[in-house]
Amino acid sequence: MSAVDTAPFASPASGGVAETLPAHLLGHAAATGDRIAMRKKHLGLWRSYTWDEYAERAAAVGIGLRALGVEPGDRVAIHANNRPAWMIADMGVQGIGAIAVGVYPTSPTAEVEYVLSHSGSVVLIAEDEEQVDKVLAARSDLPDLRTVVVKDPRGVDLSDDWIMTMDELEALGAGQRQDFGSAVAALDPSQCAIIVYTSGTTGPPKGAMLSHDNLMAAARGSGTEFEVGPDQEVLSYLPLCHIAERLISGVNAVTQGYVVNFGESTETFAQDLAEVQPTFFVGVPRVWEKFMALIQIKMGDAGWIKRKNYDLWMGVGGRLARKRWRGEKLRGVNGLLYFLGWVFLFRSLRRKLGLSRVRGALSGAAPVSPQVLEYFWAMGIPIREVYGQTENTAQGTIIPADDVRIGMVGKAMTGAEVILADDGEILTRGPGTFLGYFRNPEATAETVDADGWLHTGDVGEFDDDGFLRITDRKKDIIITAGGKNISPSEIENRLKTSPYVREAVVIGDQRKYLTALIGIELDTVGDWATRRRIAFTTYGDLSAKPEVKELVSEWVEKVNTEMAQVETIKGFELLPKELDQEDGEVTATQKVKRRAIETEFSELIEGMYR
Amino acid sequence: MTALGVSNVEVVYNEVVLVLRGVSLTVPEGQIVALLGANGAGKTTLLRAITGLLDVHHGRVTKGSVSLSGADITRADPAKRVKAGLAQVMEGRRIFAELTVDENLRTGAMSRRNREAFDDNRARVLEMFPLLAGRLRSTAGYLSGGEQQMLAIGRALMASPDVLLLDEPSLGLAPRIVDQIRDIIVQVNESGTSVLLVEQNANMALQAAHHGYVLEHGRIVKDGPGQDLLADKDIREFYLGMGESGRRSFRDVKTYRRRKSWGS
Repeated sequence: MSAVDTAPFASPASGGVAETLPAHLLGHAAATGDRIAMRKKHLGLWRSYTWDEYAERAAAVGIGLRALGVEPGDRVAIHANNRPAWMIADMGVQGIGAIAVGVYPTSPTAEVEYVLSHSGSVVLIAEDEEQVDKVLAARSDLPDLRTVVVKDPRGVDLSDDWIMTMDELEALGAGQRQDFGSAVAALDPSQCAIIVYTSGTTGPPKGAMLSHDNLMAAARGSGTEFEVGPDQEVLSYLPLCHIAERLISGVNAVTQGYVVNFGESTETFAQDLAEVQPTFFVGVPRVWEKFMALIQIKMGDAGWIKRKNYDLWMGVGGRLARKRWRGEKLRGVNGLLYFLGWVFLFRSLRRKLGLSRVRGALSGAAPVSPQVLEYFWAMGIPIREVYGQTENTAQGTIIPADDVRIGMVGKAMTGAEVILADDGEILTRGPGTFLGYFRNPEATAETVDADGWLHTGDVGEFDDDGFLRITDRKKDIIITAGGKNISPSEIENRLKTSPYVREAVVIGDQRKYLTALIGIELDTVGDWATRRRIAFTTYGDLSAKPEVKELVSEWVEKVNTEMAQVETIKGFELLPKELDQEDGEVTATQKVKRRAIETEFSELIEGMYR
Repeated sequence: MTALGVSNVEVVYNEVVLVLRGVSLTVPEGQIVALLGANGAGKTTLLRAITGLLDVHHGRVTKGSVSLSGADITRADPAKRVKAGLAQVMEGRRIFAELTVDENLRTGAMSRRNREAFDDNRARVLEMFPLLAGRLRSTAGYLSGGEQQMLAIGRALMASPDVLLLDEPSLGLAPRIVDQIRDIIVQVNESGTSVLLVEQNANMALQAAHHGYVLEHGRIVKDGPGQDLLADKDIREFYLGMGESGRRSFRDVKTYRRRKSWGS
């Protein structure tokens, strides 16, 4: 762990107290207690939480946990969908020096059990009956777990001494904000604050320990680079267990003091987004691809005037975007053109998506195809790619706002150093570098070297101006039988820009040529089939239609023409089922587990090499 | 030969509520096909799309087509569909309570003008339902639930349909009566009528059916031969209320719906 710049920045909490998230929270409550910190849509109504309420309840949770015997350094797990209680619990846990561990709400029992037992969590804060059931199923294998606190007790058997409600927990610690304040003041910021279990595309998840200092470094770094301030509104929708959403809904929100909105549920994402119209939005590639497919399908159904209008202004927008990438302001004729595009297309398009107010947008967590980014730039949404990982608290590189280069991930963030190892592996160093993997010193030693460089496992290259371009995950790079190195994700992302393609897995390691397993997008291909009067029943049935194979085949051919000879896909098969976390095919963040896929569909794969 | 074909049907109510999202299924001639699904999955809507009774509910088939013995009936008038060989037993039996059993049966033959065929049909129905034969003069409203269901099926058969649509025939009946109704459906089918059986009672439906479809949120998520579905692990858990080790107790009924993505 390198030294951290501890100079306070815009912190109302400073005054001898070490900078931590709970300290910032108390600072906001003291300075602007009446301002809104969070909103939550519940049963169709938006309810607001002020900073004062946020702090009061976090204090109650913290002191309540202490009454349950939780000591500094103990792990407390949180297993819930994004909601204010998640953040309140997180702040309460961190405030008393305990360690918050997030569990993905979609995780099946086995995964929940692994995280709870590996982290040795003493208390679990679970959302509802569904999550409580998962832990009950694993109860006998969790000797460290003393209490389960349930937020929404409907249907839960409360006569069980093991289980209590969140209301009861908060009642235990109610009205003791002073005590909580002293606990926060006594925090040692170099200690671990949270453990983030990486979703792990290979092997079991690993618990990355992040200290208060790490989180503050991220607040400083990303607060500057993301250009977020107290007047922002965000929608919290990516899993809070993941570092990206934790930074947006937790770290940056609590340090900058902007408003975090929580939607009704994960199913109502599109509607929630349209209602919130956030000013700052972070998307993972899957989200951007889905938006793109949605618009393209709608346009396919639209009349010709609408289509012509769309083609015209998207074309104009694309040309204007190229000027903005070079840092040019749109003035004069260009300003007028953009204004007209806004009036005739962008305004309504962006309002329907929920992005009409977006001033800044990021894409991260996985590589994205340049075509996707260009598409959103054309409608005036300034998406910048960021690159980082849990182990460096997402403090890697970012595209500068005034020098946008599509296809690159930009320059090192403020406070971070980024270099390449001899074999091209990307190394980072800085105050964001994590403390290590929990209970796994071997993996820690493999990841952070003696000089403090974090080995990211990604391979990349710098251009002459110091912009980083990611080639691929080191482990994923395909070496064909002919000895050529190929980055599968680049081809896969290009394939996924089609609205009809949801998933693509390129295969070809140690083989003569490349092939691919492709998963279709049920909504769009279903719509396509309907318009062509091709009857289908289930996903598997649709996937097996020769017409659908032909449709995808045309697309693969088109992508092939853009690729170098060795990178062309010589054959492909459509996946007979939708990939699912429960079946172990994708991670909680919907990343494909290559090994699992290659084993499960080995027959399909071998068939393409016969 | 396909008795009834539904191809990519999409149904919208009041121009806004999208209930069926591209549903396709086929009832082969001489077979029983079961359609399973929870409340609100769209089962009844699909039947309405087949019978043409959507407009009274402000619904509309916006995409796709329905065919009866190869002829397109997507936009046909409901009466024409009945003439073409379609009959439906509605959910909740809907017999004419004030009329006698015999009069109820006669209304079923409304669309058939042939006197000779009428007598044949009546004899056949009464043979199939001996219970009704003994009560021809009774007021239908005084029959038991099971008898009313039999009357409703008998009434539909009076039109000697090629395809019989049954909407939840087991609703509100005792288990023993449900078994009887199941046997009757099999019997009806054996005498040459193709059947589309819409049921929440998945166990009963799959025992009788040659083939089954599972409808969820307006989309077919799984289909297969009846026996295969009965044995399917997910179907057992989600539609037959069976856990890993046999029948589950009502105490274990959950407040949440387990997320399920269907393989194929």
